[in-house]
Amino acid sequence: MSAPGPLVLVIEDEPQMRRFLRASLTSHGFQVVEAAAAKEGTALATSHNPEVILLDLGLPDADGMALTRELRGWARMPIIVISARGREADKVEALDAGADDYLTKPFGVNELLARIRVALRHAQQARGATQTVVEIGPLRVDLGRREVTLDGQELHLTPIEYRLLTLLASHAGKVLTHRQILNEVWGPGHADQTHYLRVYMAQLRRKIERDPARPKLLSTEPGVGYRFRDRLEPEKRREEGNR
Amino acid sequence: MWSRYLATVALVALATATGVLLRGHLAPPDLVMLYLLVVCIIATQFGRGPSLLACALSVPAFDYFFVPPFHTFVVADERYLLTFATLFVVGLLVSALTSRVRTQEREATEREKRTAAAELRARTEEMRSSLLSAVSHDLRTPLAAITGAATTLREAHRDISDAQRAELADTICEEAERLERFVVNLLEMTRLQAGALEVKREWVPLEELVGSALTRLEARLEGRPVHAPLPADLPLISVDPVLLEQVFFNLLDNAAKHTPPTTPVEISARVADRQLVIEVSDRGPGLPPGAESRVFEKFYRVAPGGARGAGLGLAICRGIVEAHGGTITARTRPEGGAAFRIALPLTGEAPVVPAELPA
Repeated sequence: MSAPGPLVLVIEDEPQMRRFLRASLTSHGFQVVEAAAAKEGTALATSHNPEVILLDLGLPDADGMALTRELRGWARMPIIVISARGREADKVEALDAGADDYLTKPFGVNELLARIRVALRHAQQARGATQTVVEIGPLRVDLGRREVTLDGQELHLTPIEYRLLTLLASHAGKVLTHRQILNEVWGPGHADQTHYLRVYMAQLRRKIERDPARPKLLSTEPGVGYRFRDRLEPEKRREEGNR
Repeated sequence: MWSRYLATVALVALATATGVLLRGHLAPPDLVMLYLLVVCIIATQFGRGPSLLACALSVPAFDYFFVPPFHTFVVADERYLLTFATLFVVGLLVSALTSRVRTQEREATEREKRTAAAELRARTEEMRSSLLSAVSHDLRTPLAAITGAATTLREAHRDISDAQRAELADTICEEAERLERFVVNLLEMTRLQAGALEVKREWVPLEELVGSALTRLEARLEGRPVHAPLPADLPLISVDPVLLEQVFFNLLDNAAKHTPPTTPVEISARVADRQLVIEVSDRGPGLPPGAESRVFEKFYRVAPGGARGAGLGLAICRGIVEAHGGTITARTRPEGGAAFRIALPLTGEAPVVPAELPA
């Protein structure tokens, strides 16, 4: 290892989980600082300015959701929630509170690393290195030239379809909640009209997916939102019924 | 209690009255038979006490009304004494016999009731213990594999080859996943049974639910032709998207588990009679005859002792579909393979999504 890897702050009260995270992250070149409680975690976030925070929702001294909101209030680094609470409502709440991603326990190291990489990439883009072309499989979205092509052929999208696709593409690999998408595409007054979103997603899929009933590019997170896939191969762990 | 004795007196009086009316047509032995008949009826209907009373009343009544000289208790012909004795003894025997039969009958009913209760208790107990043993088996088996593989890795990692190490690590991962799936299903089942299931309905296109399940199962279905020719004009349905997606996940997961790895899986849908009818079918071995409805029972497995699955997936499907007011059925298709059909009522008016001008 020539240069020290990105610093990850782990806020997690279970010692076995911290042990697993420390071992797997350091073996993949990350540096790790650990906190077993919210107070200590906040202090370390301030003093060490980590590049990513892994946050467990079930901490002994604070509610993880509240901590997410608090950290998001001043910190810009990505927050990935790791939680045993697998209900969709919990995921949505954490994501809407400002978490960048949500991993349900148990999860494998590959899935964790993939989410960290996505989070780091988006953080980098947010700092200015904006990616203007997103490409996956046959689909190419050129955000700068406002051009979408499929297998080299230009696609004709309606304004809403275009806004929907570019919003998801510019967050490739990351799940966006229904509320976040509705807010961005339709405006704050439409945050509850998920059927708008579902109908337009179906429409968009019919234009970009080879088989819209078997989407490869835009995946659905049931009860949570949608994710623009950043890799085509099946995500090994996601196939399991982990809720 | 007393009413039975009163009824007895009334019946003996009735027999006597009948005898008096028919006196011209009946010989005394026939009249004796009439009294015996009354004793029999009373013994079977009212029991021992009233039948003894009937015996005791019959003899003097017979004497008084039908034995010359009439209307006195005096007996002119001694042969009638034998008739009295016979009437009395036969009456006693009949009453004793019938009351014994009645007692036995009552005891038999009691016994039956007790046995039925005991049997029910035993069956419930048996079900509970087989449920527990199924659960504990399904929890212990993956745990045993994990413990075994992990301890081997810890104790003997120097003595085994890289390939063996990799194999043991794979075992740990796979078995942990299996354990997780089982726990998730067990929780889901408990939630369904506790009636704690909240159906949060939203208007959703079927395609999205099927698509999401297929995405989650992408790796498991790899290399398998999947046909999902869903008509583009299907109406939006009002369902809980998370729950219904789980139904498709379980059905497709089952198909992946129970059919050869390159055989096709199909999903079709149509509207019929204000219902959305969805069918998930495969080309595997189909269901054993008689298992078509049992597959939806919890902990039922098509192949007992089969390593795959705990027999909860389809029970969960049924619970979810029924919570939506729908039905789910299974059959073996005549051309081979299993087919699961879901019928969901199309209720309410789907909201209109305003159209947009093309760019």
